[in-house]
Amino acid sequence: MLSREEVLKIAKLARLTLTEDEIAFYQKQLTRVLGHIQDLNQVQTSKEAFVQHVPNDAESFREDRAAPFANPEGLMRNAPAVENDSFLLPTIVEHS
Amino acid sequence: MEFGTQTIQELLAGYRAKNFKPTEVVERYLKNISERDEKLNSFLQVRPEETLKRARTLDAQIDNMSTLPLFGIPLAVKDNFLVNGWQATAGSKVLSGYISPYTATSVERLEAMGAVVVGKVNCDEFAMGSSNENSAFGPVRNPWDLERVPGGSSGGSSAAVAAGLATVSLGTDTGGSIRQPASLCGLVGLKPTYGRVSRYGIVSYASSLDQVGPFSRTVWDSARVMEVMSGFDPRDATSSKRSVPKFTEELNTNSKRTFKLGVSRAWLEGVDSDVAKSFDSALEVFKKMGCEIVEIDLPHTKYALSTYYLIAPSEASSNLARYDGVHYGYRTQSAKSSEELYSRSRGEGIGREVKLRIMLGTYALSAGYYDAFYLKANQVRRKIQEDFEKAFTQCDFVVSPTSPSTAFKLGEKTDDPLKMYLSDIFTLPVNLAGLPGLSMPCGLDSRNLPIGFQLIGKPFGEAELFLASHQYEQARGQFALPSMLKGKG
Repeated sequence: MLSREEVLKIAKLARLTLTEDEIAFYQKQLTRVLGHIQDLNQVQTSKEAFVQHVPNDAESFREDRAAPFANPEGLMRNAPAVENDSFLLPTIVEHS
Repeated sequence: MEFGTQTIQELLAGYRAKNFKPTEVVERYLKNISERDEKLNSFLQVRPEETLKRARTLDAQIDNMSTLPLFGIPLAVKDNFLVNGWQATAGSKVLSGYISPYTATSVERLEAMGAVVVGKVNCDEFAMGSSNENSAFGPVRNPWDLERVPGGSSGGSSAAVAAGLATVSLGTDTGGSIRQPASLCGLVGLKPTYGRVSRYGIVSYASSLDQVGPFSRTVWDSARVMEVMSGFDPRDATSSKRSVPKFTEELNTNSKRTFKLGVSRAWLEGVDSDVAKSFDSALEVFKKMGCEIVEIDLPHTKYALSTYYLIAPSEASSNLARYDGVHYGYRTQSAKSSEELYSRSRGEGIGREVKLRIMLGTYALSAGYYDAFYLKANQVRRKIQEDFEKAFTQCDFVVSPTSPSTAFKLGEKTDDPLKMYLSDIFTLPVNLAGLPGLSMPCGLDSRNLPIGFQLIGKPFGEAELFLASHQYEQARGQFALPSMLKGKG
């Protein structure tokens, strides 16, 4: 069983605040799913044999060219707050 | 005239004969939505004025309709697609109120060829779920039995078409999210080959597995949507440059071909008896059509569940990192630092199942576990892909039931995520291998609930998939309708 501390550590890495009920729920469910996943250890695999799912003819690179976006008003509509045609955001980089 | 259960083919014939105009058809579908959807909860947004405005422009083009292969076809779109001016919540509180500033390539192509978006439809949050019970906007109910789930994650897409609220719909399929709900609602659902349809403008879940595909009443309709929507898109670096066949042309000529169908009996163990019986009857129909059934071996499909639940959550934990409450979407009211702003916004805004998968993925990708989990899963994924490659040296399609059971009751599996995951044992391996898979109705169980038959094709083998399933559909005859539609058009 995953410990409470382990669950809290994963939640911290994932940037998720959990309620007490959720901690208990995830402790149980993460343990169950991770337990189930152990069956993969029964499969003999080699390091080289990796999956190839992207079509061979897919174009991985294209010219990096800036183009005007057709609907800037549409983008602004989703801003949490607007000031001088810009997104107004909370302070992210804090000064120590 | 009543509208709701017509196919694309029937609506196009009606338009050609000038029996009705797009506005009349669209008005009727909007009426169906307002009358029937209260019980189903499949629509999250309708914009009748916008939709009718669009229909009126098509009315004026009716004499040129031959250039528009989806002329006046009512289309419902899963709420994890962006459609300019429409909301896109992906079933999550985090994106509640988000309005798309541009349109997904798939929808853009369908609209350009005459389709009319009638609404955005409900789904499991971020397309994670098999019953549509994980939506922040309430569960969707199955038109065949309102006490039961429509399947998921594209449950709104399947319920809407099954109930006659749209002619066709779009969904996304990462582990079965088109095929399983199509099966549970008695429809045709296709997950195309990875790379066949552009993913530009859909909300990402697991980028190496996600594909866009249609729900429809018939195989022909699915083929029509696919021939319009598929093909290279410079805005999706994983889309294929391969040319797109005219899928409906081969069906129109009614050409008959016989195929070899591969069945792995070991894979099918444990399915409900009604499902097993119906699957075997469908095989008999194929045999009568001249097809041959061969036994194949897929030894690694039993590891698909574990493989999927490492790869998909890993990719999801990365893709969903963008929902941090800063630039758009839900933001907590109580944060004293930026760290708290992220964690509380995510903790409060994201639902239980999505958080479980984010944490699974975070764990699998964390230092010291990467090789044991994510790398290992990708190696087993290769083994699963090889199983199919080997099978295709013996047969044209691998076939299975789409889901081990028919529609289950609301609440039946919500407390046990692992039990819910088992709903997708026949669909998950197909995404892992990047193959096309089509589900079509093949019968009803003792409770009168639809059962689905899955055909899995070779990479980019959609044309053959359509041909084989179209021939089966002809032999099967018209499929039943949910009781709520009996006596309705």
